Amino acid sequence: MEYLTLQNIGLVTGFLLILIGLYGALTQKNILRIIVAFTIFDAGLNLVIVALSYIKGRVAPIIDQTTGITNLSEKFVDPVPQALVLTSIVIGVGVTGVMLTFALRMFKTRQSLDINDFKETKW
Amino acid sequence: MVSPVHIVSIGLITAFLLGLGKKSQQSILVLVLLIATAAMTMISGSWLIGIMTGSVQPTDVFTAGFKPPFAINLRMTMDEAVLTTMVNLFGFLTVIYLFDVLKNAGKHLLSIIVVFLIGLNVIVMTRDLFNLFVFLEITSIATAGLMIMIQDSKSISAGFKFLIASSVISGILLIGIIFAYSYIGNLNIDFMSNLSLIKGGSVAVFLVLSAIILESKQFPANGWALDMYESAHPAIGSALSAVSAPAVLFVIYKLMPIVPESWHSLIGLFGLITFTFSNFLATRQGNIRRMLGYSSIAQGGLMLTVVSMSTFFGNSFWFIILGFLLTNFFAKAGLFWLNGMVNSDDQNKWGVLRKRPVLFFLFGAFVVAIAGLPPFPTFFAKWEMIMQLANGNGWGWIVLILLGSIFEISFLFKWFGRVFHAEEEKINDIRTPWFKQVPVLLFGAALLATSYYFVEYLNFDVLFVMLPLLIVTVFFAIDFLPAFVKNLLLIASLTIYGYLIYPEIDGNVMQLVFMGVFLVGGILTLIPGFTQKGTRAGFYPFAAMTIFGLIMLVNPADNLTFFMGWEQMALGSYILILRGKKAERPAQQYMLFSAGGAYLMLAAFGLLLHFAGDTFFGHLNGMLPGGGVVFVLFALAFMLKAAAIGLHIWLPGAYSEAEDDATPLVSGVLINSGVLGLFWIATAFGPQQLFGYDIYQIMGWVGAITAIGGNMLAIYEEDMKRLIAYSSVGAMGYIIFALSMNSKLGLLIALYYMVLHFIYKTMLFMSAAGVIYRTKTRNMYEMGGLIKSMPWSFIVVLIGIITLAGMPPLAGFAGKWMFYNAVVMKGWYLQGTMVFFSGIVAFLYLYKLIASVFLGQLKDNHRKLKEAPFVYLLPQFIFVIAIMVLSVFPQVLLEPLATIIPDRIPGEALHWDGKLAMTSFGYWNAFSVMSVVIVMFAVIFGWLVYHSRKAQKVKQFNIVFAAERPFRPETTHVSYNMFAGYKKALGWLMTPLATRFWTGVSDWSMAIADKMRSWYTGNGQTYAMHLLLYAFVLYLLISGGKIL
Repeated sequence: MEYLTLQNIGLVTGFLLILIGLYGALTQKNILRIIVAFTIFDAGLNLVIVALSYIKGRVAPIIDQTTGITNLSEKFVDPVPQALVLTSIVIGVGVTGVMLTFALRMFKTRQSLDINDFKETKW
Repeated sequence: MVSPVHIVSIGLITAFLLGLGKKSQQSILVLVLLIATAAMTMISGSWLIGIMTGSVQPTDVFTAGFKPPFAINLRMTMDEAVLTTMVNLFGFLTVIYLFDVLKNAGKHLLSIIVVFLIGLNVIVMTRDLFNLFVFLEITSIATAGLMIMIQDSKSISAGFKFLIASSVISGILLIGIIFAYSYIGNLNIDFMSNLSLIKGGSVAVFLVLSAIILESKQFPANGWALDMYESAHPAIGSALSAVSAPAVLFVIYKLMPIVPESWHSLIGLFGLITFTFSNFLATRQGNIRRMLGYSSIAQGGLMLTVVSMSTFFGNSFWFIILGFLLTNFFAKAGLFWLNGMVNSDDQNKWGVLRKRPVLFFLFGAFVVAIAGLPPFPTFFAKWEMIMQLANGNGWGWIVLILLGSIFEISFLFKWFGRVFHAEEEKINDIRTPWFKQVPVLLFGAALLATSYYFVEYLNFDVLFVMLPLLIVTVFFAIDFLPAFVKNLLLIASLTIYGYLIYPEIDGNVMQLVFMGVFLVGGILTLIPGFTQKGTRAGFYPFAAMTIFGLIMLVNPADNLTFFMGWEQMALGSYILILRGKKAERPAQQYMLFSAGGAYLMLAAFGLLLHFAGDTFFGHLNGMLPGGGVVFVLFALAFMLKAAAIGLHIWLPGAYSEAEDDATPLVSGVLINSGVLGLFWIATAFGPQQLFGYDIYQIMGWVGAITAIGGNMLAIYEEDMKRLIAYSSVGAMGYIIFALSMNSKLGLLIALYYMVLHFIYKTMLFMSAAGVIYRTKTRNMYEMGGLIKSMPWSFIVVLIGIITLAGMPPLAGFAGKWMFYNAVVMKGWYLQGTMVFFSGIVAFLYLYKLIASVFLGQLKDNHRKLKEAPFVYLLPQFIFVIAIMVLSVFPQVLLEPLATIIPDRIPGEALHWDGKLAMTSFGYWNAFSVMSVVIVMFAVIFGWLVYHSRKAQKVKQFNIVFAAERPFRPETTHVSYNMFAGYKKALGWLMTPLATRFWTGVSDWSMAIADKMRSWYTGNGQTYAMHLLLYAFVLYLLISGGKIL
């Protein structure tokens, strides 16, 4: 049971999501499903980031009455990954948005969302 | 100095401002964008100039008021200054180039361009890994945005594939960054030097590095990138190739300090594999943009090699990387931009460039620059890279580079040749508004300027390198002048040049002889050019390039100079050949074989560096222990140029399809460069063995077979020029044979024969040019009886073939006599007999040449023919006089030639006693031989004239009177299929084994390339799979199967 910490659960779940996302992105034929798979992939990535910075028994790096202002570095989890994950989420949303735009355009040109219909450039 | 952070801030402000604009103000918005990119360029440019001149110190910009690693810092040193200037200048020119597109597109597109540029700037400047990730993503999104710019289903789906790929890549990168952070506790590259030492830390390094390597589009995980190149607007293609790729490569350069030393060469090898295979696959590419994509990726691979092994290359690193980087930057961008103007991916349509001479010239310059020919930076960079690899014993690497380079030459020049020859009717008109031309012209000029700085930096000899280059450049500049003016100027400059260098080489017989052949040959072969009307655009710069390239070979200060001259001569003569009407394929073959020879030579120079340091190869004094491989590589390279059998298949096509008056230059004169090289290695290297075999023995056989083979091939030719061309193969066989006897007499024969062959071959080709100029055909069976209308040409051919046949009394006999002596001394009876037999074969085609062209019946349509123009005859008769002088006084040439041969060469020399040439076997007196022959000739001739005074002349219609009806001229003309009988008997000897072999090589490589490129299925998911596989394989190889 010693491995069953919150951090490890987070990490394992995160990597599992990453793998599920990758698998979906590589096997699904529908472009929308591929995009969904990538958002799962992103979620996994973000979970890994958060889980890595989690330290048992510590709190979010926000100063309030319960934390006091002394020995903060021993009370807080690492704030940097928290900041990173925010950025990463934003970027993920941006990429998903662009992907959806492409999906829309692709559907307009071919009336299809099957990725196999878009292989005109090859070799 | 404005802080580099303002490059970003200006960009951001502009992006917001553009967002506020209205559709109706689009022109103003474009102007705003233009000003913004100009300002960004000025900031980075001022840093570049400042750091270069030393007036500014490289600096770090700290954001958020903290020092790293607690805040992000941007760095501006020389490296970043170069790259950001490239990015921003490119952005500025792109805005100009896309002026019409941007004016009609929405304001969003303008913002996307700014964001794209900001992204690249920060990628280059940042030292923070996470910041790097963010801006890589921003750039990716911007790139995808640009892909939507064209409303075309191809670019949309390619953009989606790109998004899939970049999502996978950024996933890998992000995991790597997070792990790096959790191990080392910060995100700054400069504070991570210990990362790979921490357990598990090297996995983090691997993930980050592999993500960036994948981002740099390495083979074979780059299908998504190829699809992008193919379908994106040319302006985007140029951005991907010219700025995106270098920025990503720079990231790898930044990462290298935290990458374990032991990985460097493996990454370098992966880059090199990309270079070789991308170029290989490009050979099968018909679509121009995709081809350029392959080529860009290949260059990226080569740069990855250099970047990842920067410590290996040491002091040469900057020279090499700048050479590749700048050339690729200017030339690739230029080619993509030209693509946008031509507006077609069909090679044939590109012929339209011929209507715009300046653009066409720049197109050629870009192609040649990418192909790595002098005087462009890639040429020098490649040379330096090979030398460094040779220093480190990287032979396999050298092989990969040279293979890749051959493929590169193959597709680039196939393209160039097609553009040169594309049929008029397939060409649409070209629209070249000023704003599309300006960027191309600027980058063209920048490329030339860069080349100038590279040449300048290398400190070449002024008289023997810089002055020739200057003259060639001038001929490019004055190409608009009428042909006869340029002809006169070129002849004049060659003459003056000869006058200038004469004091430098006076006393060095070897240099005098070869300089004489190249310079005098150059001048004389130019004289017939006076018949040309119009401007003859493009001929004179390349004629000058060829002749001066040859001249550079004679007195090179070092191996690089020699190689540069060699490549320059190859390029110039390629264009001269390509100018022929049907010369597209022969010229391509010529280029490929030339390049093959050149790269063998380059490998040989690398090996030589290893064995003998950087001594010029011609100055080794017969001492190169164990240098058998070097010798063989050199010998192959030179025998390619001298067209030894098996390596000769380029020759007949190249010589016969070149313009008629250019043929003497590219054949009679140029072929001697091969002899020059062979002579040098024969005298400088001493006896060499390979796997226990005496190399000279083998070369001797090659020479003998070449002599027979070349002559055999000549006798069945109906085409006048091809016949003479094949005879060159035979003559080179003699020379190779003579050289490989490796005796004093043998070398003397080789040199003597070289001069003689130069004289009679140039003469024969000129005479042929004169005949073809009048008859408008090259088929000998369509000629006949021309002796009456062209008696002077007849005399020249007669003298030429008597010399060639080695019959007394003319100069050729001296060669034959010495040959006897040398063969008997050496004891090579079997090979010697073969060479003699080939001389008999030569009689057959020589007879055919003179009989079917000049004797027999005159054709109806030739009744009003005139003699060849005076300017054709003049140089021919200068050569005739030379032959006559040599025939009577061979010692004029033979005595000085003998002084060239070093004393260490074994064997007996030729002794002179007045006019008497002697060896231990006998003697010969040219003067008395001539006198005897003249007397005999006069007697027999007189007797014949006396006896045939009553003979009736056979006229054309006598055959009809004899109740026969001529059916077709071919069937009645004796010279049509003249030696059918011999063909029946000896035809089996002529099985075109060499042609079949080389066709096989080409077919197989095409088939393999076709098979290989089906790897790129066009499916975005497959491409994503490739990325993961690539990372996996890279991991296995780096870790050696163990957990890192």
